[in-house]
Amino acid sequence: MSNTLRPYLNAVRATLTAALTLENFSSQVVERHNKPEIEAATSPEVLLHPLIVSRNESERVLIEPSVNSLRLSIAIKQADEIEKILCHKFTRFMMMRAEGFVILRRKPLPGYDISFLITNFHSESMLKHKLVDFIIQFMEDVDKEISEMKLSLNARARIVAESYLATFA
Amino acid sequence: MSEYAFRKIDIDAPRGPAGALSDAKAKSGEVRGLVSKGDIAGALNLILTDPPYGDGVDEAKNLTSSAVLLILNSTRTAEIPNHLKNLDPEQQDHLMAYLYKAMGTEGHGGDVSGSVLLTWHEKLTEVAGVGCIVRVMTDRRTL
Repeated sequence: MSNTLRPYLNAVRATLTAALTLENFSSQVVERHNKPEIEAATSPEVLLHPLIVSRNESERVLIEPSVNSLRLSIAIKQADEIEKILCHKFTRFMMMRAEGFVILRRKPLPGYDISFLITNFHSESMLKHKLVDFIIQFMEDVDKEISEMKLSLNARARIVAESYLATFA
Repeated sequence: MSEYAFRKIDIDAPRGPAGALSDAKAKSGEVRGLVSKGDIAGALNLILTDPPYGDGVDEAKNLTSSAVLLILNSTRTAEIPNHLKNLDPEQQDHLMAYLYKAMGTEGHGGDVSGSVLLTWHEKLTEVAGVGCIVRVMTDRRTL
């Protein structure tokens, strides 16, 4: 892991650990409803201060905690057009299968590439430190995955161009 | 009716928006002096005591934030843990709040690089623990 990535992930890990203190909390507005307060946003007193951890302008994580849920949005590094396309395809692929990932949100927040929604039911049925590990692992892997895809895409484009232009040689 | 006279006292008067702004100006000037002399500990101690908060004091808040960033930028990495240990818990909470604020405003006019903030964040978490972050999240007073 590179030198600058480690403090970034550590900061995200500490913030996420702090934010993952969730409890069961029924809606104060509608009887017999139990909704993630950060999404419903019906009672402002149960929402906490949203925190941003940023590495640079293009890479940042927004963590919005509330009493029974937590929304984590990631802006993934996109240096050029190819990375932008790859990132969009990759996150779209996963978000279309969001129920397979349990905590993945179907749509990202505006300005971010992918969002997670963790409720108290998730933190009850899964181990908290494993949830944190998963997010951190995801952030590590998504960068790796996208740069790998970019390399293989470039390699393939080169082979295609060579074999196509070889007929004119 | 003299026993109700205390109700008319404006307890916010000395620290109203104008008072907060003049305080912040004086403090950030003093911090500049301390930093140029190399007294980082004194500067941190000064700026993190009674920071301005609440509505209508945006200018004072911005002045204080930029003074904090000045200190953060002019500290050597090896000295950070010692400075942090000398702060009391309340000052550590305020510093954490300023770190998150600076990270949130990065990219639009921020004059500090992310790696400096992340280093400070890491060291502060080591010293003050996760509870410090929780106190920043739950604090209704924005710095």
